[in-house]
Amino acid sequence: MDKKIIYRIVLILIVVGLAAWSIYPPSERINYGLDLSGGVHLVLQVQTDDAVKAELDDAGLRLVSVAEEQGITLGTAISDPEDLSMTFDVPAGADRAVLSEIVLDYFGDYDVQRGADSWTLKFKANTEKMIRDQAVRKGLETINNRIDEFGVAEPRINRQGIDGDRILVQLPGVDNPERVKDIISKTAFLQFKEVLGGPAPDRASLLQATGGSLSPENEILPGNRTGFEGEVIGRDFYLVKKVAIVTGRELRTARRSQDEYGQANVRFDLQPSAADKFGAFTESHIGTPMAIVLDDRVMSAPVIRARITDSGVIEGNYSIEEAGDLALVLRAGALPARLIYLEERTVGPSLGHDSVVRGLRAIVAGLILVMLFMVIYYKLSGINAVLALILNLLLLMGAMAYFGATLTLPGIAGVVLTIGMAVDANVLIFERIREELKVGKTVRAAIDTGFGRAFGTILDANITTLIAALFLFQFGTGPIKGFAVTLSIGILASMFTAVFVSRTLYMILMHGQDRVQTLSV
Amino acid sequence: MRIIGDTNISFLSYRKIALGLSSAVILVGVAYMFLGPGLNLGIDFIGGTQVTVKFQGEPDLDRIREALSTITDATPEIQRFDEVEKHEILIRIENPGDAEGDFTKPILDALHEEYDSGLDGVFDLNTQGARELADRLADDDPDGVLGDIEDRKEHYSAPAQAVLGYRKLQGMFRSVDDLDQVEGLSPQVLAHTKMIAGTGEFALLGAENVGPTVGADLKKKAQLAMWFSLLGMMGYIWLRFQLPYGIGAVAALFHDVLITLSALALFHREINLPTIAALLTLVGYSVNDTVVVFDRVRENLKLHRGEKLEKQMNDSINQTLSRTFITSGTTLMVVLTLYLFGGDVINTFAFVLLIGIIVGTYSSIFIASPVALAMNKIMVARRRRKRQR
Repeated sequence: MDKKIIYRIVLILIVVGLAAWSIYPPSERINYGLDLSGGVHLVLQVQTDDAVKAELDDAGLRLVSVAEEQGITLGTAISDPEDLSMTFDVPAGADRAVLSEIVLDYFGDYDVQRGADSWTLKFKANTEKMIRDQAVRKGLETINNRIDEFGVAEPRINRQGIDGDRILVQLPGVDNPERVKDIISKTAFLQFKEVLGGPAPDRASLLQATGGSLSPENEILPGNRTGFEGEVIGRDFYLVKKVAIVTGRELRTARRSQDEYGQANVRFDLQPSAADKFGAFTESHIGTPMAIVLDDRVMSAPVIRARITDSGVIEGNYSIEEAGDLALVLRAGALPARLIYLEERTVGPSLGHDSVVRGLRAIVAGLILVMLFMVIYYKLSGINAVLALILNLLLLMGAMAYFGATLTLPGIAGVVLTIGMAVDANVLIFERIREELKVGKTVRAAIDTGFGRAFGTILDANITTLIAALFLFQFGTGPIKGFAVTLSIGILASMFTAVFVSRTLYMILMHGQDRVQTLSV
Repeated sequence: MRIIGDTNISFLSYRKIALGLSSAVILVGVAYMFLGPGLNLGIDFIGGTQVTVKFQGEPDLDRIREALSTITDATPEIQRFDEVEKHEILIRIENPGDAEGDFTKPILDALHEEYDSGLDGVFDLNTQGARELADRLADDDPDGVLGDIEDRKEHYSAPAQAVLGYRKLQGMFRSVDDLDQVEGLSPQVLAHTKMIAGTGEFALLGAENVGPTVGADLKKKAQLAMWFSLLGMMGYIWLRFQLPYGIGAVAALFHDVLITLSALALFHREINLPTIAALLTLVGYSVNDTVVVFDRVRENLKLHRGEKLEKQMNDSINQTLSRTFITSGTTLMVVLTLYLFGGDVINTFAFVLLIGIIVGTYSSIFIASPVALAMNKIMVARRRRKRQR
């Protein structure tokens, strides 16, 4: 046989082999997008303002306690998140040199403005950006931990957005989206605080009972009033110290548990460092209540009966599920800032399944129709085109599997469309061959000119479609990207199958015949 | 076999009629879009919540509307989804003002209150997930696994998955007796699940919520994609052919997009991300068609120098006519199967392509070449005037 033909056949076999190898086994190699597998797609925004405010508040507390150690008693620092600053009064007799030292040593991220009787610490140029960036990173890490603990196969969690403050979460196969959303967005900031007053039915009466005005060191937090069996029967308010005794950052672990009545609760263990603080506090406050605060809500305010060091229980009339989820988020860590949902798309498992079934049905129906038409219209050459078409689909699937591309619902539409457009190249060639035959060329010459002339047209026509697909990919999201990918690969594959493979098939057909009289086209 | 033989139709002599007809259709369409009811933008672009729910029986839309009336001031839009016998509905609520807000949970809670309030405390096979079932079973432990709670969860996760697998295939549970058809349940688990479970009136098929921030983002991206593709194609054709042809091709594109958008407005089809993808595809397809004709014109200009451009164009359209019809025909065939069998989710996508392919085929014959011809005349005249000066 002609060497040229053999080379061509070998090349085709290699390509087919590679495609088949990368698809096999299909159930594992083809990734279904969320719209086909079912699952949740979420875009969250980290409220980094929270982190800025928390940093300023925290800096204020740190300053007061460091100054205290050096013998300077300061009042409470007032933070101003809008201005990115924190202001505190400097007492008349305070040693300003020592204060300056403290600021220099402990507050390197701040600029200091010294006034006559009050100083202001303000973020340096980069500090704000750094704090916001840290908040998003910590948020990402926390979400990662939580999803990991929850146990979702192949989650995708990425940072995105122009300001970088968005987090994209994609969870295939999740069948109860509301629960996952709760788990992800729960801030889960646990604090233990000293109770100064309450419970009281409203803020006003609580203030009255404790002397009328609220000192900046204290705050009023709401909590649930629970009935005899732990059920929520109303709302209560507590006056508590702002500074927490211990926070969730110092938690070692948390797990779901049950009390003697079978009520679910969450049991936690503290890290050794926190255990000392906790032990000292509880020892000196036996007989007084302590508030267990979760996300600025008093979950319970048990009276301290004895010294507690490293473990405790959070009660809150939880269902088994809720207690498990709370333990999970406490273990995984608190979020540095609130999260809000900007976008979410949930595809239930049955809708995804339905889409796959219908998409496949449409592909098969379309494929059969087109194949029938080609064979009827172009006879033997039609069979050539059909072989090219089948090969095209194989290459399309192979390339998608190889690049790890995701098949989406619009992607299926892309496959269907590719079928329609892939035969276009064959149609262009065959029509051209027919024309050339009509003007009296020999079969061989007609095939040569047909392929030659048609190729330029095919190239031009396909490049324009590729341009559209390129911009779709660039600006599209999720499923649309999937569509752009299938369409592009399909078009590229069709250039190989319709031109190279079809040509080779003709060569094989013509082989060994000196003068071919007729061509079935 | 041959559908279209040798033709010699003087397409270009119909150009005035064609241009007039197209202009009229576009004018009416644009008027309808901007002065009339306008385009039906989906939540992808305006922001809002969209929930698809499947019911056991024929859903009473008025009852659902009533149940949802207290959620928000905005009136929920409730319509049938997919085939009537599937008992599926789509609920859409626009975001009020600029607020980010997700109505998925309020909608589901309100439906639960209305239809399934009797199921409180019962495990609803139609709305709850595999994990919840595994939790319940681990707690009740019908198989008597004992041991740690996490070990028990492990043990019950396979049967819980199997139960949910049934819902995945069937859409929803009709009654707890459907559990008999689930494979892989031990008799104890089966009996226990039947005891604790109930079947709610509805199941959640899908939910989407797009806030105004993302909505504005998506809108901008869709517009950018559209303009860049149009510019990219015009640039390519300008490069490969000449400016008049580039303008001709782009005129045909605007024509196709405007008419398809008009059709979308007229049939009150929702414009969402897949619709935009379909519009861009149609743009690619339509140029594809036009390029085939222009390619032939270029070839003929080389072969038969001296003949008038109008005749050359006409000949080229006639020579490629057979290909035009066959390609449009095969593409139409597959798009039609997508339209008929692809399901409701992809239906508007297929609709755009269906209209677009028909309009695109027409425009590559009756719009692209005439405009290119006219532009060429203008440019030649201008060049001549310059030379005379």
